[in-house]
Amino acid sequence: MKALWFLIPLYLLPLVVKSDTMLTVLIFTFLLSILAVGFNIVFGGAGQLTMFHAAAFGIGSYATFLSMLHFGLPFWLGYLVAVVVVVLVSIVIGWICFKFRLKEFYFAVVTMAFAELCRLIALNWTSVTNGTLGMLVLEKPTLWLPRSGIVKIEQTAAWYFLTLVSLTVVLAFSALLMRSWIGRNFSAIRLNEDLAQTLGIDTFRYKLLAFTISNVIASFAGALYGFYTGFIEPSYLSVTQSLDAIAMVLLGGVSTILGPVVGSMVLTSLPHLIELPAELRVAVYGMILILVILLMPRGIVGLAAGLLKRRAHAS
Amino acid sequence: MKSLFRGSFAAALLAAAVPGVAGAQTATVKIGQIEAQTGPNAIYGYMSSQGVPIAVDEINKAGGFKVGDTTYKLELMALDTRGDPKEATIQLKKLLEQDKVKFVFGPFLSNVFVTVFPYAKQFNGKFLMMGGGTRIHEFVGQPGNEFVIRTWNWDAGPKGFGEKMVDYLVKTANPKKVAMLFQNDSGGKILGDIYEPIFKARGIETMTEYFEPGTKDFSPVLAKIAGFKPDYLFPGYSDAALYDIVRQSVEGNYSKKFFLVRGSTGPGLKNKDGLEDYIVYVPKDFEEAEKKEPKVKHFIDAYKAFYKRDFPYDQAPLCSSSCYDHVYMLVEAMKKAGTVDDVEKIRKTLLSMTYQGMWKISFDERSEQIFNFDIVHLRKGGTKEVVHVEP
Amino acid sequence: MTQVVVGQILNGIILGSLYGIIALGVTMTFGITGIVNFALGQFMMIGAYATWYFTDLAMFPFPVAVALAVVISAVAGLVADQALFRFTRNNLVNGLLVSIGLISVTESVALLLFTTTPKNMDTVIAGSWTLGAITLPRMKVVAFLMLAAVIGLTWLGLSRAWLGRATRAYAQNPEAAMLMGVPTKLLQTGVVVYSCAIAGFGGALYACLFSLEPTLGGLFILKGVESAILAGVGNLLGALAGGVILGVTESVGSLYLPSAFRDAYGLVFLVAILLFRPAGLFGGQK
Repeated sequence: MKALWFLIPLYLLPLVVKSDTMLTVLIFTFLLSILAVGFNIVFGGAGQLTMFHAAAFGIGSYATFLSMLHFGLPFWLGYLVAVVVVVLVSIVIGWICFKFRLKEFYFAVVTMAFAELCRLIALNWTSVTNGTLGMLVLEKPTLWLPRSGIVKIEQTAAWYFLTLVSLTVVLAFSALLMRSWIGRNFSAIRLNEDLAQTLGIDTFRYKLLAFTISNVIASFAGALYGFYTGFIEPSYLSVTQSLDAIAMVLLGGVSTILGPVVGSMVLTSLPHLIELPAELRVAVYGMILILVILLMPRGIVGLAAGLLKRRAHAS
Repeated sequence: MKSLFRGSFAAALLAAAVPGVAGAQTATVKIGQIEAQTGPNAIYGYMSSQGVPIAVDEINKAGGFKVGDTTYKLELMALDTRGDPKEATIQLKKLLEQDKVKFVFGPFLSNVFVTVFPYAKQFNGKFLMMGGGTRIHEFVGQPGNEFVIRTWNWDAGPKGFGEKMVDYLVKTANPKKVAMLFQNDSGGKILGDIYEPIFKARGIETMTEYFEPGTKDFSPVLAKIAGFKPDYLFPGYSDAALYDIVRQSVEGNYSKKFFLVRGSTGPGLKNKDGLEDYIVYVPKDFEEAEKKEPKVKHFIDAYKAFYKRDFPYDQAPLCSSSCYDHVYMLVEAMKKAGTVDDVEKIRKTLLSMTYQGMWKISFDERSEQIFNFDIVHLRKGGTKEVVHVEP
Repeated sequence: MTQVVVGQILNGIILGSLYGIIALGVTMTFGITGIVNFALGQFMMIGAYATWYFTDLAMFPFPVAVALAVVISAVAGLVADQALFRFTRNNLVNGLLVSIGLISVTESVALLLFTTTPKNMDTVIAGSWTLGAITLPRMKVVAFLMLAAVIGLTWLGLSRAWLGRATRAYAQNPEAAMLMGVPTKLLQTGVVVYSCAIAGFGGALYACLFSLEPTLGGLFILKGVESAILAGVGNLLGALAGGVILGVTESVGSLYLPSAFRDAYGLVFLVAILLFRPAGLFGGQK
């Protein structure tokens, strides 16, 4: 939980940074951080390399908006419907994958195949999703605040705090989860699944739990993302989106609490701070990825933690 | 990496120093551009972002342009959206709020436009957005959306180039059945919606198929279409797919007659011995126009000098050249309006004037562009006939 | 209608051989180095652009251009192996991310050199063979024969020659193979370079069939990985079979069902195979 203190400067930042553009960059960074935190639970926690999180992200935004559109629900209730959908989908897919004991590479490929199927459905089920034309979202989420009552989240500053608070809550949840007995069982599965099984851990059930939790968090990121951008399209569910989140987690540091946030900062915010010609920007993204993986195999946070520990030992 | 940072730092210092050095009577007008220069859907955005810098460079090298007593130079800020709505949102914010840009070119991609639309609308009256995206048609010319101008002509309607193209097709070939094959994305879907009624109105039966973006092997869908026995195949909508469709259709003996409204003569010329008929809409047939029109010749030379590479004739340099014209057109509107700041006045001037560049460009009542274009008709062996159309 | 279906089966087989050549590289690299080289598609892209460049711009005879393309892909593979993949052996996730980084870098270089404007190589072998209602472009048939030959020869080489036997021994039991004097590091580098070279060869034939864009590698690596898994990782001839099955599924599938769902047909098939035969169609029971 100590890691959460690192978020405090972000709460104070709008006092100093008045640039709307910069805050927008950070809003997207927070949203993608939430997606990465979700992935870190199933991969950094339970060691399962899923490729389904982008699909959960997309289903989150589609289901929330569609239930608002058709049932007239407010945003948060609409999101509850999305949670139900994502939980059901996760249980079905997770059940299939884990029942058939798919691991590592095979698990990655099968979850990717399911994610692609979801994307193709979003793309071609035109009567419901409006297909490739996507859906314009003009509604905004509302919040009840003391003294001001129900407010619409419209202004950049409001979105900044909504996404930052959401990220804080998700991070706190993931930190608590990882320290609980559930998290310890996840770790046991990651480190040695056979041993965990022998010790009496129901690995099937825990893997399914990790997969579902991670997808629900991803869908939360997706719901907010769709309403912030104001446009939902099938590319939200693409493989690239999944790979980006994986890159963030690995870059920041797998199995660390803050890793996903740091990774998202590097990959989402940094490119907007350095101005480069279009063609070079793609190359720089690749170079960052390669250098970090090769030079810091435990990610930025992992490396920093290692250095701090070494200094503590030396003194 | 270090030298890179140092380099950009030095450049920033230099940029900060320059206005101080220059005389009091010169100033700069910033123009922004948001297009997908890279990524899987970059073909049109890339071409547009090629044309604008040439015009900007020419105008600045000629000493800028004069409005009132002040001489202005142009400063271009071209950003690459990669076709990602997230990037486009951030970039448009940067242009409007941080750099205070009043004139933005782009986007050509409909999904990008639709995403930035609600945000851009808040700046109605404060800036002008000149984009070519197909879906801009739904928004342009409506109250509250005055900020957007569509810099491409629309397919349907009395002045629509699509109607004129189909009229030409009916006049020369009188087909009974046309099969349409479009990419499964917003551009492709809209094409289907536009052309089905146009053909229907002329008693032509249609069939529409969509393919996944990135498809390379078209023979299954071509075989399926061949079952419909169309007189003409109408594929779309960028050359990346057209080269493959035309070649595979000819080689596989599926359909040898083509009708196109997005794309170039390139795929037809490449397969000229196998095909029977190839009717294509090109804003301008550059090979022919280069010989007759000095402005076209000048643009081609400028392109070669600026990029130090050959001019891509086969790729119908439609976007690069039209965006080149748009920069000059905007400058002319500023001069006529006598202001570089009063966006509303510049917009009104722009919409009411007729610009004579490589094209004769004017606007209809919806703020959509109307310009003259060419129909290139290739027949077996590559004999070429060019028809000029003046809508 | 039967003739149309037969035509599409043949077309699927031909297309599948292009998936197969990538699948072969995926299978070999995975067996020996423990990573999936997701950048293999990029070596295909390098081979394709090199072939186009040497035939259309440098005006070399086609076979020379192909040879040069293969050499360039192999050298690029060697550089990538020594600079990157050497450090990610047997680490699936790091290997994946380094591959993604490499994809970005190569795509960026291709953009700088060739722009996003599609390139279309001049026809190498023109014309088609017609049999009833079935028309097959000659170039496609030739490409299939060449790809199948490379895959077949690789399989033969690996089952007969000493080096090949050593490679297989290593894939089955690394420690025992090392004790028997198999040079591990050399073997791993060799396999990575060979897989890049054949991907480049696939790219050379791709250039004869389809138009080129800097992003072309992405599509083929996904299909290659799917084919490899379909057949069972580690099975060399199966790589071709897996590719062919995928190609046929797609071609015949899009004939009867909406072609916009083309990619889905292969995926559904893949999931079904993996669930009921986890070792792949041709893999032995684990």
